[in-house]
Formats: sequence, C-alpha cells, structure tokens
Amino acid sequence: MKFFFILRQTFNNLWRERTPVVATVLTICIALTILIALFEVSWTLYSQLSDLKSNLVIEVYLDPALSEKQAGTIQKQLEQYNTIERIRFISKETAADIFREEFGENITDILDENPLPISFEIRLLPEYNHPGYMSLFKKQVESISGVDEVHYRHAVIEKLEQLTEAIMVSGIFVLIILVFAMNLLIRNTIKLSVYAKRRQIEIMKILGAGNMLIRMPFILEGAFEGLIGGILSATGLIVMHKFIASSFSLVTFSLHTYKLIWVYTLSLGILIGLLTSAGSVGKFVNKIFSKK
Amino acid sequence: MIQFSQVTVNYGYVPGALKDINLQLRDGDFTLLIGPTGSGKSTLLRLIYMDILPSSGTVTVDKWSSYRISPRQINVLRRNIGVVFQDFKLIENMSVFDNVALPLVIEGYRRKYIIRLVRLLLDEVNMLQSERQQASTLSLGEKQRVAIARAMAKNPFVIIADEPTGNLDREASRNVLSLLERIHQNGTSVIMATHDYELIKDTPYRRIYMENGQILPPDRTFSPLNQRINLLADPQ
Ligand SMILES: Nc1ncnc2c1ncn2[C@@H]1O[C@H](COP(=O)(O)OP(=O)(O)O)[C@@H](O)[C@H]1O
Ligand SMILES: [Mg+2]
Repeated sequence: MKFFFILRQTFNNLWRERTPVVATVLTICIALTILIALFEVSWTLYSQLSDLKSNLVIEVYLDPALSEKQAGTIQKQLEQYNTIERIRFISKETAADIFREEFGENITDILDENPLPISFEIRLLPEYNHPGYMSLFKKQVESISGVDEVHYRHAVIEKLEQLTEAIMVSGIFVLIILVFAMNLLIRNTIKLSVYAKRRQIEIMKILGAGNMLIRMPFILEGAFEGLIGGILSATGLIVMHKFIASSFSLVTFSLHTYKLIWVYTLSLGILIGLLTSAGSVGKFVNKIFSKK
Repeated sequence: MIQFSQVTVNYGYVPGALKDINLQLRDGDFTLLIGPTGSGKSTLLRLIYMDILPSSGTVTVDKWSSYRISPRQINVLRRNIGVVFQDFKLIENMSVFDNVALPLVIEGYRRKYIIRLVRLLLDEVNMLQSERQQASTLSLGEKQRVAIARAMAKNPFVIIADEPTGNLDREASRNVLSLLERIHQNGTSVIMATHDYELIKDTPYRRIYMENGQILPPDRTFSPLNQRINLLADPQ
C-alpha cells in the first residue's frame, strides 16, 4: 500500500506540474541525444582515424641516380630508427610493376628507360603515428644525403584529426550547458512539487511519516522525468539511424546498436533524474519547514 | 502517562510562551485545557507530539522523553498519538477514505486490512456514506469527524484535540465533543484545548486553566479571577 501511495503521489506531482515537467523531459531528451550522438560520431571518426593511421606509410624516394648498393647504405641508416616498425625496399623494377598495376601501361613503353627512383615504404610503430612525429621524421630523413623526397598523406589525417577535435570540443561545450540546464530544470520541478505539497508534507509529518515516505514521491518524480526523456531520446536516435542507414547504404546499424542505445539512454536518463532529485529534495523540504 | 516537569518554551526571541510548567496527565483521563487565545494551550499540546521541544525542562510521553529523542523516535511517538486540530489538517484534494487511510499507509499496513479498518472508522464517525468524496467538499463538521476518524486509526493511547470545535457551529461542536467522549469511554486518554467555555461547562472532566503561559493553581479555579478567565475564554 505504501508503494502504491508513493506511486500515486509521484504521478500526481507529475500531472500537477506538467508544464515544467514537459520542458524538463525535453531538455533531458535533447541532452541525452546529443550525448549519445556525440559519442557515436567521435567514436566512428576515431576508429576511422586509427584505421587510416595504421595503414599509413611514409614513402622515401631516393635520388634517381643512386644505385641499389648506395640505397642499401641509406636503408642501414634508416634501420637505426627504433620508431620504425618495418621498411620495405622498392627497387626500380618493383616500382615499375606497381606503376603498371595502377596505370595499366608499361613505363618503359612510354619512356625509353625506367625513370622511377628506388624508394622505401616505411611503417612507423603505432605510438609514433601522429603528425607531430611524422613531420619531424620527414625532416630528418630528407636531410640524409641521397634522399630526394619524403611523402605521407598527412593532410587527410590532420584534417580528420582537427574535425574530430572540433566536434569533441564543441560537443562537450554544448553538453556542459545542457547538463547544467537539465540539472536546473529537474531541481525546479522538484521544488515546485514540494512547494505545492507543503501542506500535505506538514500533515504527514504530524502523523509520523518518515523521510523516506515523504521524499520518495519527489525522487521518483525526477527519475520518471529521466525515464521519459530517455525513451524519447532513444526513439529519436533510432529514427535518425534508420534515416542515415537508408540514405547511405554503406552504413548499417545492427539490432545490437539499437539495444545499446536503449540501455544507454534509459539508464543515463533514470540515473540523472534520480540523483538530481534525490540530491535536492531534502533541501527543499527543509527550507519549507525551517521558518517554523 | 504524560508528564511536564519545569517546562519552559521560548519561541525564538519571544520568551515565555510557557513558563515553568509542572503537570501530570494520567492515562484514561479526559482533560480540558482552558484559557484565552495566546495563553499557551497549543504550545503545551505541541510539546506532547513533539512538534516542538522544550527550551528547558522535560516532557515525558509514555516511554518517550523530550530529553534526548531522535527524529526517528519522534515519528514513532507521533504514530502512537492521535491529533485533531481546529483547521482539521485534512489533505483537501484527497478522498475521505484516503485521508483516514493515511496513518495506516504510513505504518505500512496491507491494503486489505486498511480498507476494512477505514470503513469501520468512518462508520464510527458516521461518515461512511462519504468515503469517496473529496475532503474539500465536506462541511466543517464533517471534516472534523473525518479528522477524528483519522486520529483514531492507529488506536492511539491518547487523542490530542487543539480547539477542535473552534470553527464549528453549536450543533457540530456538540457532535464532536460527544465523539471525543465516546472515544474516552473506550479507554483512550483525551486532552482537549478549548476557549469555548459554554460547550464544556457541564462536563465532569479535569480542567486545567491557563493564562500567560502558566497554569493557574487549582484553588483559584472557582475564584473571581477564574470568572474573568471564563469571560475571556468565551467572548460571546
Ligand atoms: N510559532 C510561533 N512563533 C512565535 N511565537 C509564537 C508561536 N506560536 C505561538 N507563539 C506565541 O506563544 C504564545 C502562546 O501561544 P499558543 O500556544 O498558540 O496559545 P493558545 O493556543 O492558547 O492560543 C502566544 O503569545 C503566541 O503569540
Ligand atoms: Mg491555539
């Protein structure tokens, strides 16, 4: 009976303060949606970035006039670097083969002799796969005599890295504001409900009701707002996923993703609502009775 | 038993709402607390259900003492006391049934038991026909009867009634008084504060006269001073 009483009070509170409750639920929904979307986008970008990085090779082109023997001494020099995972030697012939594969024509058919230089394909150890070290490495290697040019596709990576960072920073900024607003609005509905019920609380206290019974309806009120916010957010996210999945046939989202979205939004929503209301209801109740 | 020893109450910077009160109330008694507005009746009653604690001195209620009582124990004490007020203190937007059920819900009783008991209580105060009605729709006399049913719900050892007839007309007042008398006959102590001397003048119960936060000595109960108090207490 106690349980039903608490639930009835909770829904009574929610209905009584329905306008601020709707505003609060929507804010929770938006905050959770942004949080999850932000997490997904940055996670996708991050995994693509690390994919790209792990496939990244640095190409070191040698002076075309260099012989294979001279190239061998440069390779020895390069092997001194303990930041390198492996080095692949690409002879003039191999380069010509690669050229043929990519362009479908023999370079020696076009030109009289093979103009392609000897080169190395270098893969760095994963922990050195970042633009800072790469540009340093490039500079150092280019200073070795006999090395003509060092290439890597840094532009793409730097762009992607900047993008990830920008999304993260602005997302976190928006999120902080939303978390703040969410907290404020949840506390506000609890405050309004406690104030509306002040006479009932006073009566229940005279009848010997404990803190648990008095506070629980308000705590559940916050939790319920979080729950509804979470449900709306999950629904919105899944609709967005379906839309993205149907417009880009490349991206598909599994049932597993949907389950995870439900779990994350609901548990986060309930947790935020519960903690915020539980943390503030005591203060509001005491404030009302402190004047006595 | 309820005992006051050397009890003084000061409200904030306002001293002497009660001054050095010594009083003993035996179990099973019907006690009338008589005195003009501001004489300290409500203050004395609030001490019994420990809505306030004395500034000095000790109040002992059954096995609880105001000297060192935890908030949790105050709740337990309140669940063993029935309280009735001039302004009824019903939850206006709840039904008659739910109002009377409230102390039983607080105690954590089962639904079936609550339904049976509330019906019995409402029948007792002749309000069973209105059990579904919202409390706000009742007449004042009906509200007080519902409040008394609620106070009786836990079968308390004492009922505290603070001017229970203060807002009621003559007939409703007599009705409430006879209800309290019936409760008393069934073995429950009743302590009733009133300034309606007309209502209680023919009752045989113990009377405690108060003025300015003090209890007047019994030998002055029928003194001319007391006549003056009676006049003050009953301005009509
Ligand atoms: N909450 C309060 N704050 C300050 N003074 C109070 C408060 N309650 C009562 N008093 C004062 O205490 C005295 C006794 O009041 P009360 O016990 O209510 O008397 P009664 O019930 O006999 O009318 C009065 O002078 C009143 O003004
Ligand atoms: Mg009073």
